[in-house]
Amino acid sequence: MAEPFDPAAYVPIAATAVGLQIAPTDLGEVIGAFAVLARVAGPVMAFSVPEDIVAASFVPEEVTAA
Amino acid sequence: MTTGTGLRALAASVRGGHRSATEVTREALDRIAAGNGALNAFTAVTEQRAMAAAAAVDAARAAGRDPGPLAGVPFAVKNLYDVAGLATIAGSKIDRDRAPATRDAALIRRLTQAGAILVGALNMDEYAFGFSTENTHYGATKNPHDPTRIAGGSSGGSAAAVAASLVPLALGSDTNGSIRVPAAMCGVFGLRPTHGRLSRVGMRLFAASLDVGGPFGRSVDDVALAYDSLQGPDPEDPGCANRVPQPVLPELRRGIDGVRIAIAAGHFASQGVPEVFAAVERVAAALGASQRIEVPAAGVARAAAMIVTSVEGAELHLPDLIAKAADFDPKVRARFLAGALIPGAWYSHAQRFRRWYCQQVAALFRTVDVILAPATPYPAFPVGQAMMEIGGNKLPAAGHLGVFTQPLSFAGLPALSAPVAGASPLPLGVQIVAAPWREDLVMRVAAAAEALGIVATATPVPF
Repeated sequence: MAEPFDPAAYVPIAATAVGLQIAPTDLGEVIGAFAVLARVAGPVMAFSVPEDIVAASFVPEEVTAA
Repeated sequence: MTTGTGLRALAASVRGGHRSATEVTREALDRIAAGNGALNAFTAVTEQRAMAAAAAVDAARAAGRDPGPLAGVPFAVKNLYDVAGLATIAGSKIDRDRAPATRDAALIRRLTQAGAILVGALNMDEYAFGFSTENTHYGATKNPHDPTRIAGGSSGGSAAAVAASLVPLALGSDTNGSIRVPAAMCGVFGLRPTHGRLSRVGMRLFAASLDVGGPFGRSVDDVALAYDSLQGPDPEDPGCANRVPQPVLPELRRGIDGVRIAIAAGHFASQGVPEVFAAVERVAAALGASQRIEVPAAGVARAAAMIVTSVEGAELHLPDLIAKAADFDPKVRARFLAGALIPGAWYSHAQRFRRWYCQQVAALFRTVDVILAPATPYPAFPVGQAMMEIGGNKLPAAGHLGVFTQPLSFAGLPALSAPVAGASPLPLGVQIVAAPWREDLVMRVAAAAEALGIVATATPVPF
C-alpha cells in the first residue's frame, strides 16, 4: 500500500528538480499552498475520463508560399 | 441634441458637435484627480496622451470626418494591457523595470480607432492571480460602495473606476472570474466574451488557455457598444478565432421570446450566503424562468481550473520565480511556487477532463439557451479579511470568490455579470451565460432584464 502523500517531503525535492530555491521563510507557505492544490487535485484525478478523450488537438503551422 | 447618460449619447454629443472630446476628456481627468485618492483604482493617468487624442477627435470632426462610434468616450485599462510609452506592470514590482511598451494592446487600438480616449491604467492583483485587488506593491483598490471593503479582482481597478464614474468604460481580463467577480462586487456590468473571441495581443497573460479580455460598463447598451468595437479576428494572435464580428448592439431590442432560460442548480445553489441565491431567483422570476439545470461535475471543473491555472501561470513566470522570487507579492509568490511543482499528470488529466466537460456543457445547451447563476458567493468583504464562514465551513475569503465563475469559464463560455437591482446594502451580481460564441443571447437576456428593472447599476451617475 502506498504511503500517504506528504507535501512537506515532496515540495523541497520537486523544487530542486525544477531549479527553484524556496526561501526558508516561504517554505511553510509553499507547502501549505501545495497541500491545497493536492487536495484540489484529488477529485480531478479520481474522475474517470474516457480514454478516447484527448486534451487538445495539435494543429501544425500552415506554411504559405512566400 | 442627444440626451442621456450612456456611451452612445456621449459619443453622439461629440459627433454632433454639442460637446468637444477635449471638454469630455478634461472632465474625466478632473474626476480621476478628485476621486482616485479614496479608491486607488488608477496606477497611471495618461493625461498628455489623452488630451492629444481628444484634440485629434475634435479635429477629425471639424474636418468633416466621422470620429467613430465611441467618439470622445474616456476609458481606462487594467494595467496588464500594453500602453505605448508605459511599462506593462501587470500589478507587479518585477515588471516595473521592463522597457515601456512600444505600441498599444490590440483591444486598446480597437477602442481608440472607434474614437475612445485612453486616460489611464488600473490596479489589479499581481499577475491577475487573485480575486480581491489587495496588491502589496500598489495598495488595495477600495469599493466605491464602501471604501472599507474590497473591489473584487483581479480587475478591481477597472470595476471600481466604472462604478465610481471616474470613467464610463474600462477593460479588464478574466481567467477564472476576474471580470465577473469585481463587476458583481462594484455593482456594474462586466462581460467575459467566449474564449478566443477577442485578440489578446499586447496583454500580459496569466493562464493562456483561460484568459480573455473584456469590457466593464454601466449599462447593457454601453457594454454592447464597446464589445462590438472590440471584435474581429487578429492574425497576430493564434488564440483569436478567425470569426467575423457578430455585433450584439442590434440584438438588444429583440426581446427574449423563445429564449429558453434556466437557473443553475446543484453546485451553483450552495456554498454562498442566502442573499446571492435570492438575487438570482428574483432575476429568474422577472424573466419568467423556472427551469433548473445541473451543470455536470461543476465542482470538479472548478478544481481542474485551479490546477490548469496554477501550472500555466507558474510556467509563464518560472524564470522570475527562479531569479527573483523575493520580488513577488508575498500573497502570490507561494501560489506560483506551488504551481510550478504540480506533477505533469495532474495537468494533463485536468485538460482531458476539460475536454469531456466541454462536451457535457455543449450538450446542456441543446436544451437551454441561457443559464443564470450567482456571480459571487457573498458581497464585498472588508479589506484584509482572510477567512469567511459559510454554512459552518471556514473558507479563504478571496480564494472562494471564484466558486461560481470558475466552472463556467473553464468551458470557455461567454458570461455577463449584471448587477441585481435592489441588492443592498452591497451590490450582488448574476451571471448570464450562454453557449460559446452566443454573446448575442447573453446580451439579449441582459437587455430584457435591464428593461424590466431587475438588473441595473447600483447608483447611476450621469456622466
